[in-house]
Amino acid sequence: MLKGHQSWVFHNRPMIAATGVSGGPFEANGNLANDFDILHEDLWMGMDSYEKAQRVLLEEAIRTTLAKAKMEKEKIEFLFAGDLINQITPTSFAARTMQIPYFGLFGACSTSMEGLALASFVVNSQGARNVLTGASSHNAATEKQFRYPTEYGGQKPPTAQWTVTGAGIALVTENQAGQQLPVTTSATIGKVIDMGLSDPFNMGGAMAPAAADTIMAHFRDMEIDPSYYDLIITGDLGRIGHDTAFELLGKSGIKLERKQFQDCGLLIYKDDQPVQAGASGAGCSATVVYGHLLNQMKKGIYKRILVVATGALLSPLSFQQKESIPCIAHAVAIEMNEEGR
Amino acid sequence: MASKQKNMTPQQQNYQQLQQKHELKRPVLKNCIKAFWVGGLICVVGQAISYFYIYFFDFTEQSVGNPTVATMVFLSMLLTGFGIYDRLGQFAGAGSAVPVTGFGNAVISAAIEHRTEGFVLGVGGNMFKLAGSVILFGVFSAFVVALIKTLLGMWGVL
Amino acid sequence: MVYIIRLMLIACVLFMGSCSQDQKVKDSQLALMKTTNPNPTVTAKNKGKDNAINIEKEVSSFDEIYDVAVVKGKKATLVVYKVKHMKRFKMKKIEKDLNKTLEEHFPKENFTVSSDYKVFLEAVRLVERKNNGTLSDKKAEKRLNEIVKMTGDMK
Repeated sequence: MLKGHQSWVFHNRPMIAATGVSGGPFEANGNLANDFDILHEDLWMGMDSYEKAQRVLLEEAIRTTLAKAKMEKEKIEFLFAGDLINQITPTSFAARTMQIPYFGLFGACSTSMEGLALASFVVNSQGARNVLTGASSHNAATEKQFRYPTEYGGQKPPTAQWTVTGAGIALVTENQAGQQLPVTTSATIGKVIDMGLSDPFNMGGAMAPAAADTIMAHFRDMEIDPSYYDLIITGDLGRIGHDTAFELLGKSGIKLERKQFQDCGLLIYKDDQPVQAGASGAGCSATVVYGHLLNQMKKGIYKRILVVATGALLSPLSFQQKESIPCIAHAVAIEMNEEGR
Repeated sequence: MASKQKNMTPQQQNYQQLQQKHELKRPVLKNCIKAFWVGGLICVVGQAISYFYIYFFDFTEQSVGNPTVATMVFLSMLLTGFGIYDRLGQFAGAGSAVPVTGFGNAVISAAIEHRTEGFVLGVGGNMFKLAGSVILFGVFSAFVVALIKTLLGMWGVL
Repeated sequence: MVYIIRLMLIACVLFMGSCSQDQKVKDSQLALMKTTNPNPTVTAKNKGKDNAINIEKEVSSFDEIYDVAVVKGKKATLVVYKVKHMKRFKMKKIEKDLNKTLEEHFPKENFTVSSDYKVFLEAVRLVERKNNGTLSDKKAEKRLNEIVKMTGDMK
C-alpha cells in the first residue's frame, strides 16, 4: 500500500516462486555463467535475425521459469515485460507465442524492476495469483538500433557500456508460509531525472542521479536507513555512473559502505572482457537479479537487498536531435521469507 | 557549448562537474600512437598492392589508384565479414577508420546488419546509411573546390 | 588483438623475406626500391649515344633527382627520374624546370619527361633486355614508343 510519497509496501509479501534466466555467448564467458539456466553458444540462437533471437531468449526464460515452478502457463494470469527494441516487439511476439495476458512495459533498462514492482503490487492486492515479469535485451539487436552496425569498426570510448544478451523472468505468486523463498516487500517508483547530459556513450553518468534520487526517496518514504539492507544494487550504472551515484548519496548524507553498494553491470562480466565501463541493457539487471542475486539470497549470503534498476529513456532520434538523456530508476526491496510468517 | 551551459539549471551544472570527475577519459596519446601504427601498416599494405599492380600489370603510378583501392576495399570486406575489422577498429580508432578500408567497413557492416530486412529495403536501403554522408559531402566539397578553381581561372588569378 | 598485430608483423617479414631470397635479382625487380641508375640507352645502334649520356648527366645534375634512366629512340627521347623523398612536394616545379633545361640544352631532341614509377620500371626493363641482347633494336624502338604513349595517357 502507498507509503510516503512514491513507495508501495507489500504487506502480503508476494513471493518470487521461480526464475528463469537465459544468456548469450558473451555472458557464458562472464563472471556469472553458473547462474544462467540457459546459455547459447551462438549469438543468433539459431534464428535468422537478432530480433528473433531476442524473442527466443525471452521465450526460453519463460518456459524455464514455468518448468521450475511446475506450473502450466494457463495458470499464469499476467505477463509484465518489456525490452529496448522499437515498440518492444520481441517481448510482444514472445507474448503472442505464450498466450498469456500481457502488459508491455517500457522503462529502458529499468524495465525489470518496473515489472517486478507492478507484478508485486497486483499480486499483493489480489489482482492476480501468479504473474510473470521480466525483461530482455540482445547485444546486436540493441546496437543495431541505438548505435552502429555490429561489424562497424568505430572506436568506443571508455565510458561506453556493453549491452547484455539475455533475458530474466520471475514468477511472482502469493505468499505461501514456510517456504524459504525471496519475497518482495516494498517498491519505490522513481521520477524522470534529467541532468542535461547528452552523450549516448556515457549512459552511466546520465543515470546516476536518477538512481541516487530513487534510493533517497526510498529511505525517506520507508523511514529506514541503509543499514536495513545487506546490499543495495544498481542496475547498469557501470563504473562511472556507480562511482558518481556513490558520491551523490554520500553527499546527501546517506551512510553507505562501499561493499554494500554494488552494480549489476559490474558483476556480470570478467575484468578482461572488452566491455569498457561495464554492462547495460534491460537484460542486465534482469539476469543478474533473477539469476545471481536470488541464488545468493537462497544460499543465505544476503537477507535483504534493494534493487535499483536504472534506465536511460532516450531514442536514437532524440540524441541525434541533440536532446539530453532523461533517466529513471525504480527500486524494489527483496527479502528472504522469514519463518513463521 | 557555452550557450548550452547557460540553459542549464545550477543543479545540472553542479552535477555535471561532479560527474566529470568520475568520467573515464579517452587515452588520447595512446590512441594516437596506436592509430599511427595501424593506419601506417594499412598504408604499407596498400603500397605493396599498388607496387604489385605496377610490376605485373600495365598500370602507371597514376592509374594504379583505382585497382589498389578496389583491392583494399575487398580485403576490408573480408575482414568485416569475418568479424575482425570491428575489433581492429576498437584497438586502432582513426587508424583503421580513416583509410579507405574504413569506408569499406562502414558500407559493408551496414549491408550485413540489414540483410535480415531483405535485399531491397534492407541491404539496398541501408547500405550507405553510414557512408552516404561521406559520399555526399565528398562530392559536394569537390564541387565547391572545382567551382572556386574555375572561377579563379576565369578571372585570371591562377 | 595481439593476434592481429602478430599476423601483420609476420606478413611484413614474409613480404620482405621473399624479396631477398634470390641472390642474383635483376635490377628491374628492385627498380622501385633502390637506386638503379641504368646506362643511357639508344635503340638505334651507335646513333646519338653521346647525346644520351650528356642528357643523363644534365638530368643528374639536378639536386632533387637521384635516379635517372634515359632511352633515346629514333624520334622520341624518354627521360625518367626519381625525386628525393622530401622534395616530392615540388614535383610539378621540378618537372617544369627539367623540361626547360633540357629544351635549352638539346633543342633538337623530342623529349618525353616523366617521374612515374611505372614508366621508370618499364624503362629499366627495356634497358636490361636491350643490354643482354634479348631485344632487337626494332623491337626496342617499338616498346619505347609504347611507353611514351603510356605517359601520354596519363595526362
